Amino acid sequence: MALIKNNGLVQEPWHMINEGDALQPGYNLVDMVYWQANKAALIAHHAAIGLRVAGDEDVQLIAADLQYFSLIAINFPTFADGRGYSLANTLREQYGYSHELRAVGDILPDQALYLTRVGFDVLDLPNKASANLALQKLRAFSGFYQPTAV
Amino acid sequence: MSPKLIFSALTNDNTMYLYNEFDQTLVNERVEQFRDQTKRFLNGDLTEDQFRPLRLMNGLYIQTHAPMLRVNIPYGLLSSKQLRMVAHISDKYDKNYGHFTTRQNIQFNWPKLEQVPDLLADLARVQMHAIQSSGNCIRNITCDPLAGVSEDEIVDPRPYCEIIRQWSTLHPEFSYLPRKFKIAVSGSPKDRAATQVHDIGLHVIKDPQGNIGFEVLVGGGLGRTPIIGKTIAPFIAEADILSYLDAILRIYNRFGRRDNKYKARIKILVKETGLDTFKEQVEAEWQTIRHGKLTVAPEEIQRIKQHFNALAYDTVDERILEAHSANSGAFRQWLKQNTALHKQTGYRIAFISLKSPNSPPGDISDVQMGLVADLAEQYSFGQIRTTHDQNLALTDVKSSDLYPLWQQLSQHQLATPNIGTITDMICCPGLDFCSLANASSIDIAQGITDRFKETAIDTGNISLKMSGCMNGCAHHSIGEIGILGVDKKGEQWYQLTLGGSDSHQSKLGARLGKAIAKANVVDAVDDIVQVYKAQRTDNESFANTLERVGLQPFKDKVYGAH
Repeated sequence: MALIKNNGLVQEPWHMINEGDALQPGYNLVDMVYWQANKAALIAHHAAIGLRVAGDEDVQLIAADLQYFSLIAINFPTFADGRGYSLANTLREQYGYSHELRAVGDILPDQALYLTRVGFDVLDLPNKASANLALQKLRAFSGFYQPTAV
Repeated sequence: MSPKLIFSALTNDNTMYLYNEFDQTLVNERVEQFRDQTKRFLNGDLTEDQFRPLRLMNGLYIQTHAPMLRVNIPYGLLSSKQLRMVAHISDKYDKNYGHFTTRQNIQFNWPKLEQVPDLLADLARVQMHAIQSSGNCIRNITCDPLAGVSEDEIVDPRPYCEIIRQWSTLHPEFSYLPRKFKIAVSGSPKDRAATQVHDIGLHVIKDPQGNIGFEVLVGGGLGRTPIIGKTIAPFIAEADILSYLDAILRIYNRFGRRDNKYKARIKILVKETGLDTFKEQVEAEWQTIRHGKLTVAPEEIQRIKQHFNALAYDTVDERILEAHSANSGAFRQWLKQNTALHKQTGYRIAFISLKSPNSPPGDISDVQMGLVADLAEQYSFGQIRTTHDQNLALTDVKSSDLYPLWQQLSQHQLATPNIGTITDMICCPGLDFCSLANASSIDIAQGITDRFKETAIDTGNISLKMSGCMNGCAHHSIGEIGILGVDKKGEQWYQLTLGGSDSHQSKLGARLGKAIAKANVVDAVDDIVQVYKAQRTDNESFANTLERVGLQPFKDKVYGAH
């Protein structure tokens, strides 16, 4: 795993919390099932909360609790599944979500530019080589026809 | 990051949209992107599964014999310079010919994968490319080939095609859709762009106050499940068209099926959701983005329209054509069959038939391309249109120039007087080239041409469309005579349908009966034509005759005989 953000590699501060795990002091990343079951405990814990969702997650379910999330990670089951792009765009454009939006799962370096253009600001690539390639690919085009999402 | 939508349009040509520096840079960068992807694939750094969607988004298929590259011709408009480059490419990278498709594009059947980046770089020199000519993304925007010149036009659709082209090109959100997505635009009551069988069909119209907008059709398509598109919105104002398209695409991207590629087109989503519910979803989405960044400002529309101004027409002495016409029967025949009236007095639209008896439907040689490019420069403002029927058109020819034009076309097998007749058939490449096909189509086409080449004009106009498999690239479902190749235990059989239509009221053809063996297909078509000729009254069209007498006489003749 290698994260890129703001045109560079960054470290991972987040901890994925599964059912039964103890909450960490800094950054806790949970899935929708965990969030729905443990909302009160997570909010009371006073650490940053991240939510990991599938690309076809019901956007209204996420939006209902948007104020609590410092990170939303959208998972791509395969790189050809484009639902995450629309979910990201919707969160940014329609719900005004302004914190970290992360693309995780099966993503290709060749997709880095489109991902950032729909509103993702952090990309989780499989390794350092692909992350470096993604950084190059972010500069593949110097202009676009469409207005950007953010 | 542009605060509002500004379209790219800065060149000084005022009759055709030519790329400015911005468009050119983008296309050049795309070539380099693809060059790198091809290199990584050949080095083994990209797997076949990873490379496939990337190459498809650049128009590259892996076919039976070699890769097939599909090159976009946005809304079917080419300059002479561009056509000369296409000819050059077919010579340099292919076997000296190209194949025009039903979506107004051109395909090359023999390029080598490692040469494709260079081929694309050559194309980019004349502002052509293969961006999104395949893959699960928004494809080339197609259009009425007679846009801007036909007598019945309400509004010229080309500027809107250009606006939609720009919006859809390298679209970050809609490049990994459930399936391919095709948009066609027409500005005339007579639909020459098959808008009703597209994922989205747009009819440019005017409201009673004279405001321009679009009737939006959704969910049409052919292939395995042919469906005629339905109206989702009777009038969307021109300022709102991109936000409305955006809303439809987002609903489709979110909810379209991804579990089965045969059920992934928007037509299935609309059918399974129900048009009313689908419309509610789109409207709800649209309300959140309408009046936002995708609003098309009137001055932007005006700016794009300046690139499609009327040409500088002369006054023409029509008596010259009359004299030419009186002198030559062969010319008269071509004039009647292959030309159409123009909105400008003294001018005609001349169709160039790519259905000569000597070559597969839609194919054209590099020499012929060079000739057409020259003739377009000489007689038709240096512009060429590609048609949905896989022919070409010179749309702005002086009536006095038709005779010399015809003479030169004739010398190069480009003046077969068969536009609209049974030998002007639409045909896919079939089993000879395509890895999807179940049956061949080119040899059947040849058989039909041989059978009817002497009698096609007397028979009258009949649209015949033939696909080598149920993916239906040649739109057999909407042919007056439709032929579909099917595989029966390794043998090639053909399913016939009658009565399809792709004009204003699109209609799917009805099955004639059980599939017919390959050896009997041409005879069966002949039987159908004989029944029509025997049953018709005066100048009754094929469709009207069929409507009146029904399928039975056709069935009796075809299945009685075989």
